[in-house]
Amino acid sequence: MAFAIEKNAVSGWLERLLQLGEVIAPTRTPSGDVLFSNIRSAAEVTWDLPNPLHPPKEFVLPQTDPIVQIKRNGKQHEVEAIHDGRRRFLVNTRSCDVKGIAFLTRMHEMEPADASYLRRSNNLTLISVACTTPCPLGFCICTDSGPFLSSSYDAQLTDLGQSYLVEVGSAKGEATVAEGQGLFRKATETEVSQRRELEEKARQSFGDQTCHFASAMRRISTGRVQDPLWQKMSDWCLECGGCNVVCPTCYCFSVKDLGRDGSWIRCRLRDSCQYAAFTLEASGHNPRAQRKYRMKRRFFHKVSAQYYSRDGAVGCVGCGRCVQVCLGATHMPAVVSAIRKGNWHE
Amino acid sequence: MNDVFLPDIARLADLCDETPDTRTFRLRFRDLGKGKDFHFLPGQFIELSVFGYGEAPFCIASSPTRPEALEMTVRRTGQLTDALHKLGEGDEVGVRGPFGNGFNVEAARGKDLLFVAGGIGLPPLRSLIWNVLDERSRFGQVTVLYGARTPADLVYKRELEEWAKRSDVEFHVTVDSAQPGWTGSVGVVPSLFKKVALHPETSLAYVCGPPIMIKIAVQDLVGLGFKEENIISTLERMMQCGIGKCNHCAIGHHYVCRDGPVFNCGQIKELVD
Repeated sequence: MAFAIEKNAVSGWLERLLQLGEVIAPTRTPSGDVLFSNIRSAAEVTWDLPNPLHPPKEFVLPQTDPIVQIKRNGKQHEVEAIHDGRRRFLVNTRSCDVKGIAFLTRMHEMEPADASYLRRSNNLTLISVACTTPCPLGFCICTDSGPFLSSSYDAQLTDLGQSYLVEVGSAKGEATVAEGQGLFRKATETEVSQRRELEEKARQSFGDQTCHFASAMRRISTGRVQDPLWQKMSDWCLECGGCNVVCPTCYCFSVKDLGRDGSWIRCRLRDSCQYAAFTLEASGHNPRAQRKYRMKRRFFHKVSAQYYSRDGAVGCVGCGRCVQVCLGATHMPAVVSAIRKGNWHE
Repeated sequence: MNDVFLPDIARLADLCDETPDTRTFRLRFRDLGKGKDFHFLPGQFIELSVFGYGEAPFCIASSPTRPEALEMTVRRTGQLTDALHKLGEGDEVGVRGPFGNGFNVEAARGKDLLFVAGGIGLPPLRSLIWNVLDERSRFGQVTVLYGARTPADLVYKRELEEWAKRSDVEFHVTVDSAQPGWTGSVGVVPSLFKKVALHPETSLAYVCGPPIMIKIAVQDLVGLGFKEENIISTLERMMQCGIGKCNHCAIGHHYVCRDGPVFNCGQIKELVD
């Protein structure tokens, strides 16, 4: 069932959500960056900002994720799992990032399920806005993660000019709309068909930003990408790990105790498969000492049929962030294209 | 839903120096009930916490047939292991696990067993060796071949003497380079193959040690008629979580922590990164 809300009523809805928990939305910082951050009043939400460079995975899987509290008392230690049960609403997020969180949630639900992650994702309500124009670097159309979604969101808003069409995708979404009692009305037939036309128009406006996963997947999954091609591509990689940092689906991590003097927080710290030390063993042996093997690993994990059949999706949501940050141009569309053509530009 | 990263507390009971940089840590769960509920197979590992540093994976070096304590043999080689080596009896550590598939002990029943270990590759096999020796009548011939760089690098020296004396174990030891006083064999571990009667048809071979030793030993065993599926090894990889989530130990879409660390050589060949 679809609802509609007038644009001038949205603030009232957000103020009600602020009473229930944290509301997170893209905001522009004084230095000009756009970041997802906690807002204190509905007036802080700017709806037409570009998608932030850092995806909202921070709110389910923080860069430094406290998982266990450790306290020493004399010779004794007490350990306790840290529970983050904050109710949070992620507002004005994009389709790609909704799919990114859905990907992470699926992965963390796999046995043994990760309670620390799932507690956060269960308490997070995703209120996304469908993209009526593709962003310059996005290729979500190739990854089935935009510009409009048919699943994974709790509530999906479509900008109809004076109002938003609101589609409800889950019980959480339903409850969130119910909080705006009196502000929402049933959407009209015209509004629903307007949404359909906007989606079609958005799909047709994708230009050259495509990423042909199928052909790359066939080659990667069957080991038919030759070493010299990985070598050539990895010669351009600067091992900065930026692609991992901004990727909505990257979740590899290390574990470390932070703190001192008998009081520590065991943290899960996001790591990068592009760093040589990622696979370095205590003995000094490193199965992926060479950069080409690390690059091969990244793309096997994201694009292979083996992982596709486990995760039900490629590990890419087409957001284009890696294109934006990669210093060596070895981002997803470039590598997929090179694999498909069997050749890397020189 | 469990808090998968929450360790149980254990206390160090005994410490035994094996080599100048390697020590065996014996530990017992602080909560005795946890100790009773902790069931494992030889070849499985735990994530051991040294509080203030984090955790690292170590194979369980003791046998499940001796459940009164868990033993880990650890070389001092980095921040965490250095901190562990500084702990003494009664100090507390954290334990998560057991993780990994472990050796299939039931499948070894009635078979002749050949153990081939190099250096600090003996601890995971020691768990299985003691399991076998504690249930000796269920297995065929037992042969243990062990080698290290120098006599000082041999671990479990007292147990090696015990195995050498036992009539129901054929035991040979060798070192890469001898030192004054060493009267035993000199040479790499695979050089011991010619000293023993091998029965490839009825045997399972367990090989564990540095990558180069494993490579040579496996080549020789295949040359001597062992089928790849009857040569079993444990793989070493950088690990953080032990439960197939952190991705450090991934080889292709397989995870050494969850799908391994025990693989037969046929399976290892199929693991393509």
